[in-house]
Amino acid sequence: METPELFKDGKRLDGRALDELRPIRIIAGVLKEAEGSAFVEWGGNKVICGIYGPRECIPKHGASPYTALLKCRYTMSPFASLEEHGRTGPNRRSTEISKVIREAFGGVVMSGEFPKTQIDIYVDVLQAEGGTRIAAIAAATVALANAGIPMKDMISGVAVGKAGGQLVVDLGKAEDNYGESDMPIAFTHRDKEIVFLQMDGKLTPEELGNCIDSAMEASEKVYALQSEALRKSYEAEGGQELDI
Amino acid sequence: MERMVLPGEEVWKREVQASGTYVRGGITYASVPGMMRDEKFIPLEMAYRPKVGDNVVGVVVDERHAGYMVDLNLPYNGVIPTRKVRIHLELGGMVYGKITFVDEVGNVDIGEVDKLPAGKLLSVPASKVPRIIGKKSSMLNQIREMSGCPVFVGNNGYVWIGPRGNMHLVAKTLRLIIERAHTSGLTDQVAKYLDENR
Repeated sequence: METPELFKDGKRLDGRALDELRPIRIIAGVLKEAEGSAFVEWGGNKVICGIYGPRECIPKHGASPYTALLKCRYTMSPFASLEEHGRTGPNRRSTEISKVIREAFGGVVMSGEFPKTQIDIYVDVLQAEGGTRIAAIAAATVALANAGIPMKDMISGVAVGKAGGQLVVDLGKAEDNYGESDMPIAFTHRDKEIVFLQMDGKLTPEELGNCIDSAMEASEKVYALQSEALRKSYEAEGGQELDI
Repeated sequence: MERMVLPGEEVWKREVQASGTYVRGGITYASVPGMMRDEKFIPLEMAYRPKVGDNVVGVVVDERHAGYMVDLNLPYNGVIPTRKVRIHLELGGMVYGKITFVDEVGNVDIGEVDKLPAGKLLSVPASKVPRIIGKKSSMLNQIREMSGCPVFVGNNGYVWIGPRGNMHLVAKTLRLIIERAHTSGLTDQVAKYLDENR
């Protein structure tokens, strides 16, 4: 497969600098019936997240007398993109992403306070342009806080990697598909613990270190937007307007 | 002074046991979004956890030998044990009571049960209940007075509105309180609203 040119005049395809994020918009509390919810628009990604629970655990035999079960369902809408991602329903990819999102939040959600129950995180991708799992994590964090589910810390992340021989932050679709390496990573805000890390492709140990550093910096910017979204949700009366 | 606190942010530099917070390494952090007002932490959103002594409003959903099962807006139904409470209830009837016992997995027993006549049942976020009641029930009494409705509020987030007076006004006022729960001077705002809309 021929690799397209990923840089033009020292800038990336969409005109961004190497360490620049795509425009991000986060709105908290967009769903009426969910306990908590959030909508994230991250470049061309559109992700909506709803939190239900703590509620009765189904199936009952799966319930734990010590803690709430955290469950996550990530799905992509059939119209989310033009490619094979667009098949509806759970598939191999979405099952994996559901699992890693659940595990990212497993460490911060204080599920021990709600024994015998379950907490559901539903994330639906309405439109995809590379980096949906990170957008999903950003949405889920805001939605969990909006639901009043106790958390030790907020999580924010970003995808970093290597495209066209350069280390870049927040890979877009072309950079993700044709680049050398893509590494989505998420941190807790206060302690900067890595709660989520995946990698496609290859990076040298030095590159990996540099990537983690720049990801930490970029995820601070994401956190600022997440916290602003939560603050704003108390200013608007009659619920947040969702303008997709 | 007011400031908003998000999960993971520091609340106090010392160990304090307060709802919506946790302690690590001698420092108290918030676990839910909240507001700092006069060095007090007020949780703005919080999933409800039953406590002994909470007043609750519920709906009878089942009758068993051991007692009545009551829907309390919780993951699991509460129980009015026949052994302790001698009262006859109808399925679908509404009750007002006090939580007398909570076990380690959150099963709830209810005592001091009173029957409520048929009325309207509303569900509100449990974290907003303190504002709906107000200091020494000031807010609640104001709503009762202006609307002419009997109103009972449970800590579990169920609100019963009796079949008298302006029930619609109560529902609209509750919505207003929920939306503005984080603002100060709420009792006055609500007084004005009640006055304009009665």
